[in-house]
Amino acid sequence: MMEPEVMIGIEAHVQLNTKSKMFCSDMSEPGDAEPNSNTCPICLGFPGSKPKVNAKAVEHGAMIGLALNSRINEKMFFSRKAYFYPDLSKNYQITQYEIPLASGGFMQLGETKIRIRRVHIEEDPAKLVHDSGEITSANKVLIDYNRAGVPLAEIVTEPDFKNPRQVRQFMEHLSSVLEYLGVYDPKREMSLRVDANISINGGERVEIKNITGFENVEKALSYEVVRQSGITRMGAKVERETRHFNAEVKTTSALRKKEYEEDYGYIFDPDLPMITLTRKFVDSLKANMPELPEQRAARLVKDYKISDYYANVIIYTGKPMADFYEACLKLENKPEPIASWLVNYLLKSLNWRSERIEDSKVKPETFVELIRMIEKGEVTERYAKELMKQYVDTGTSPKKLAAKEKFALSESDMLKIVREIISKNGKAVSEFKSGKGEALQFLIGLVLKETKKQADPKTIKGIIEKEIR
Amino acid sequence: METSIRKHIEAIKNGDVKLEEFVSEVLERCEKVQSKYRPFITINKKPDLKKSKGKLAGIPISVKDSICTDGIQTTAGSKILEGYVPPFDATCVANARKEGGIIIGKTALDEFGFGTFSTNCAYGAPKNPHDPERACGGSSGGAGCITAAADFPHIAIAQSTGGSITAPAAFTGTVGITPTYGRVSRYGLIDYANSMDKIGVIGKEVYDAALLLSVMSGYDPLDSTSSEEKTDDLTSYVGKGIEGMRFGIPKEYVSDTTDKKVVSGFMKAVQKLEVAGAKVEETSLPLTKYAVSSYYLIAISEASTNLAKYCGLRYGMQQEIVGDFETYFSKVRTAGFGKEAKRRILLGTYARMAGYRDAYYLKALRVRAKIIKEFKSEFKKFDALIAPSMPILPPKFSEIDKLTPIQTYNMDILTIASNMAGIPSLSVPVGKADGLPIGLQIMGDHFAEGKLIQIGSSLEGR
Repeated sequence: MMEPEVMIGIEAHVQLNTKSKMFCSDMSEPGDAEPNSNTCPICLGFPGSKPKVNAKAVEHGAMIGLALNSRINEKMFFSRKAYFYPDLSKNYQITQYEIPLASGGFMQLGETKIRIRRVHIEEDPAKLVHDSGEITSANKVLIDYNRAGVPLAEIVTEPDFKNPRQVRQFMEHLSSVLEYLGVYDPKREMSLRVDANISINGGERVEIKNITGFENVEKALSYEVVRQSGITRMGAKVERETRHFNAEVKTTSALRKKEYEEDYGYIFDPDLPMITLTRKFVDSLKANMPELPEQRAARLVKDYKISDYYANVIIYTGKPMADFYEACLKLENKPEPIASWLVNYLLKSLNWRSERIEDSKVKPETFVELIRMIEKGEVTERYAKELMKQYVDTGTSPKKLAAKEKFALSESDMLKIVREIISKNGKAVSEFKSGKGEALQFLIGLVLKETKKQADPKTIKGIIEKEIR
Repeated sequence: METSIRKHIEAIKNGDVKLEEFVSEVLERCEKVQSKYRPFITINKKPDLKKSKGKLAGIPISVKDSICTDGIQTTAGSKILEGYVPPFDATCVANARKEGGIIIGKTALDEFGFGTFSTNCAYGAPKNPHDPERACGGSSGGAGCITAAADFPHIAIAQSTGGSITAPAAFTGTVGITPTYGRVSRYGLIDYANSMDKIGVIGKEVYDAALLLSVMSGYDPLDSTSSEEKTDDLTSYVGKGIEGMRFGIPKEYVSDTTDKKVVSGFMKAVQKLEVAGAKVEETSLPLTKYAVSSYYLIAISEASTNLAKYCGLRYGMQQEIVGDFETYFSKVRTAGFGKEAKRRILLGTYARMAGYRDAYYLKALRVRAKIIKEFKSEFKKFDALIAPSMPILPPKFSEIDKLTPIQTYNMDILTIASNMAGIPSLSVPVGKADGLPIGLQIMGDHFAEGKLIQIGSSLEGR
C-alpha cells in the first residue's frame, strides 16, 4: 500500500507568562482562583471599558519572533476579529491581522526546515466548562472568564510538515525555545495548544482544534491520517471541516462543516493606536537574547564531546535537565559517563515516576556520587541501575544507600577477599602464571561468588593481576 | 434662581448658597422640565454632595447617558442596557466629581448615538424648549434640551462622533464644544465609533463650556488614544478679542441646499466678526463631498463590532434561555436593539466583509487621512474656519418622520468632516429666525480649543 502524501500546517498558541493580562491589570495566572473572580470591566467587556496593551507581552512576542528567525515589523496594529461565541466577552477577539508582530522565519528540525508564516499576539478567550466534560455531548456550558484576556502568542507555520511525528518534534523544540526565552510556563495547563490543518494526497484540509500535549498532537494527526486514508481508499472525498480531538479515546470527531471560508470582518481596533517597535527596541532584545536550546546543544557537543544524540535528549527534555547536567559537570568533570547515565537510566527512572527533574529529589551533588562510585568500580553496572531506582525514589545519597544495602565494596574489602582466594588456590595461581587464561577466569569466578556478585569482574581482574605479579 | 455659572460660582464663594437646599430645588425643577421636554433618561435623586470644594463646586452637571456613571443607571439610550448600573465612573465624570460637580441626571440620546435629531430614542425623544413640536437635534439631544430649558445653573457633559454636540447646540440655542479627538479620555464612554468619539460640553455660555472642558481634559492611562498634550485653563481665553484673526468660510458649507434663513443669520454673525477686527474670506474644502459616505462606512464598521458585546450574557437585557447560544443572542438582540441600531449593525457588518472590506472600510480610512490633510493645509492660512452649524432650522418631528435614512445622514454634512478629522469645533448661538435658534460653528486646528473659545466668546452678548 502506498503511503499517503501528508501535508500539515499548525497554529500554536502559547500563553505568555506575564504578570498581568494582555489588555488589563488582572493577574495573568489566576491559578485555582474562584471562577470569574480574576476579572475586571475590561476583560469582561463591560460597556465603556477600553483595552490597554501590556508592553511585556509585546516584548515576549518579539523575542519569540527573533528566536524563530522572523522579521519584527516596525509598525504594529491590533485588530478586532469579530465572531459570536460565548467565550468571547466582547464577541470579538483583539488580535493582529494585516501586520503581525513578526513575519517569516523558520525552525530547523535536523534536515527538515519548517517555515514560519507569522507570529502575532492576542488575547485568550474565556474557558468554557462543558457539563458532561465533552464539547460534543454537553447540553450546558459554564463560562469562566478568569482566563479571558491572558496574553497569547500565536505561531503559524507554513504547511511544511510531512508527517505527525515532525509536528511533535516541532512542538518539543518550540516548547524548549519558549522555556529558554522565559516567556512561558510549561507546567501551566493549556499553556501550549495547537490547531492543526491536515490534508492527504492534495485533498480538502481538515482542521483539528485545540489539542494540548505533544503526544496528543501526534496521536490526533496520526488518527486523521488513518481516517482520511480510509475515506479516500473507499473512493470518497474528505470533507472540509473542523474536528475536535478527544484525548480520552484518542480519536477526532466532527465539530462543524466548513462550507466557506470563515469571515471575521476584521477592522483595526480603534481603541489601540499603532505601536512603533523601534530599531533600538529590537536591537536591545537581540542583544539580550538568552542562549537558545539549539545553541546550547551545539555547545554541549563541542565543549564536552558528547554525542549529538545525548546533547539533544538532554536539551529537549527541558531546560532544568540541561541545567542539571551542567551542574553535575561542575562537580565532577566526566561529561560522557554523566550524559550516558543521565540519558539511559536517570530519565527512565524519572519517567517511570512521571516526574520532572526539577520536582524530583535528584540533586547534582548526590547524583555525581553515584557516577564516582561507578567510575571507581565500587559498584557493578547492574547494581548501579538498582541503586539509581532507589536513589530517584528516595533522594538518599547513593553512598549511604550502598553502605546500607551493601551494594558496594570498599577497595580494602575487595583486596582482603582477593588475597584470601589467592592463598587458598595455589594451583590455579601457578597455572595462571604459566599462561593459562582459564585459570584467571576461575579465580575471578571465585571472587564473584564470594562477593555475591557485588564487585565488577573487570575491577577484580585488575586486582588479581596486580596481586599475582 | 440665577442661571449664570459665573454668578453662581460667585454666590457660592460669598456663602450665599446652601448646597442641600439648592440641590433639592434644582432636582424639583428638573422634574418640571422633564415633564415638559423629557431631557432625561434618569434623574439622579440622591446626588453625592460630599465633595464641596473644587472648580465645579456646587455646579449641577448632567451626563449624556452613553457615559458611565458609578451607581447610576447608564443605558446609552438603548433598551438592551435597561437597568444597567456601571461599577465605575467614566474618567470625565470622575474628574467632574473630583472638582465638586454634582451629577443631577443622565440625558437622552439617539440609541448609542445613532441619529441626527434625537428621535431614535428608546426612552422617548426630548422636545425642543423653543418649540416642543420640534426636535432638539442629536445625538446629544437631552444635553441640549436641559441646557436650554434649565432655569438653574447647569452644564452638560455631551459627546459627539459625527456632529452630536453641534447639532443639538445649534437647534437648542446653546453653546457646544467638540474638542480635539483624544483631548478628553473616552474611558467609560459607551462606544459608537471609537476612532471618532469625543466627549465634549454643552453649556449656556462659552465660559461654561470652557470651564467643564478644562476639568475633563488630560491624559488618562486608561485610554490609549487620550492625548498627553497639556491643557491650560480654557476659561482664560474668554473675551480675549479676535483683532487681526483670519477666518475662512468653506464654500461647500454654504450651498443652495442650506436654509436661506440659516444663511442670513450666519452672515449677520460674520459681519459681527469683521466688526470685531477679523478678516473673513471664502475658501474651499473639495473633499467635503466624500465626507458623509466615508464617515458612515467607518462609523458603522466600528459600531457593528462595538455592539456585538450586547448579547444578554453579562449585563443588560436578558431573556429566557431556549436553544443554543446563537438562538439566545439573536433573541436578546432582536428585542433589545432599535431599528436604526439594527440598520447600522447590518450595514457595518457588510462593509467589513471579505471582498467588500477593501472597497468600503479601508477606502474610507484613506479618505479620512486625506480630509485631515485638507483641513491641516487650511489652518496654515486661517486661524479658524467658520460655517453654519446645521443646514436647517430645528425640524418638526412630523417632518423628520418623512426623511429617508440617506436624507437624514446628509443633514450631518456640515459637521461630519471636522468630526472625522478629529479637529475641535465650537457651536455658538447667533440669533433666531421665526423664533428658532441658529448656530454658527468655528472649526480649528487640533488642540486649538483656546482659540475657538476666544472667537466664540466674541460672538456672545449684544
